[in-house]
Amino acid sequence: MASAASVIGEGTTIRGNVRGRGSIEIRGHVEGDVEVDGDVALAEGAGVDGNVRGAQLVIAGQISGDLQGTEAVLLERGARVVGDLVAPRIGIAEGALVRGHVKTEGEAPAPRRAQVTVARRTPERASVERAAPAAAPPEPKAEPAAPKEAVADKSASAKRGAGPPAPVVPALGKARGKKKRAKRS
Amino acid sequence: MASTVIGEGLTIEGEITGEEEFVIHGTVRGTLSTSGPVQVSQGGVVEADVSGSSLTIAGQVTGNATAQDRVDIQSGGRLLGDVKASRLTIADGASFKGSVDMDV
Repeated sequence: MASAASVIGEGTTIRGNVRGRGSIEIRGHVEGDVEVDGDVALAEGAGVDGNVRGAQLVIAGQISGDLQGTEAVLLERGARVVGDLVAPRIGIAEGALVRGHVKTEGEAPAPRRAQVTVARRTPERASVERAAPAAAPPEPKAEPAAPKEAVADKSASAKRGAGPPAPVVPALGKARGKKKRAKRS
Repeated sequence: MASTVIGEGLTIEGEITGEEEFVIHGTVRGTLSTSGPVQVSQGGVVEADVSGSSLTIAGQVTGNATAQDRVDIQSGGRLLGDVKASRLTIADGASFKGSVDMDV
């Protein structure tokens, strides 16, 4: 591969500029500008104090500086950006914080998968949190079902008229009822 | 594994500090300091003082190399600078110009 993906590890801090070809995944900290022709992924907990330029920027960490993507800038949940965003496509997820100007400009190329993806520290928790609101809506749907049952009960008791309450076990009740009727007749 | 990889085509100018392994296929100018091992691959260029737990050089390093454990200059590797480490190996075909301090 001519331009292999680079990784700035979690325990690494760079004071200076990062430039070049290829994609880069930042899990540590950079105090300086990042400029590559490939994609940039900034992981949760990672940070950049400087401007970031790349093709597709996927941000889940903190940035103090401007973001410029030739293809897209995507801010994920947990991202904190103080600076301007410029790209043909810009996505800001719920839970991402931005303070700065946002400008979608340039011709948007067809969407594609990023070459580097953001590493999430707690994928399980994130999925649970996301699942919770989705699971909530079915509850109101379940409620209307209960009155129907109640209505059915009422109609059933109405058919039975002023007779004794329905026995808990229907089979036994039927048998008893028959016996009683038989004795009476 | 938590490690830092400087890809081919990527240049970092400045001060790099870390607590993990570094693999350098690209270019680093400035200083590089880590508590983990440092590997300069073939094609990698380091114009910086480097310190790490160990240092493996198959590319080109210009600067002083300090390692807690060892420095290995592999065949095709090139080091211009002083070495401070308790162990040093220089493979046949490697080039090295500088002084060596092995804590004798």
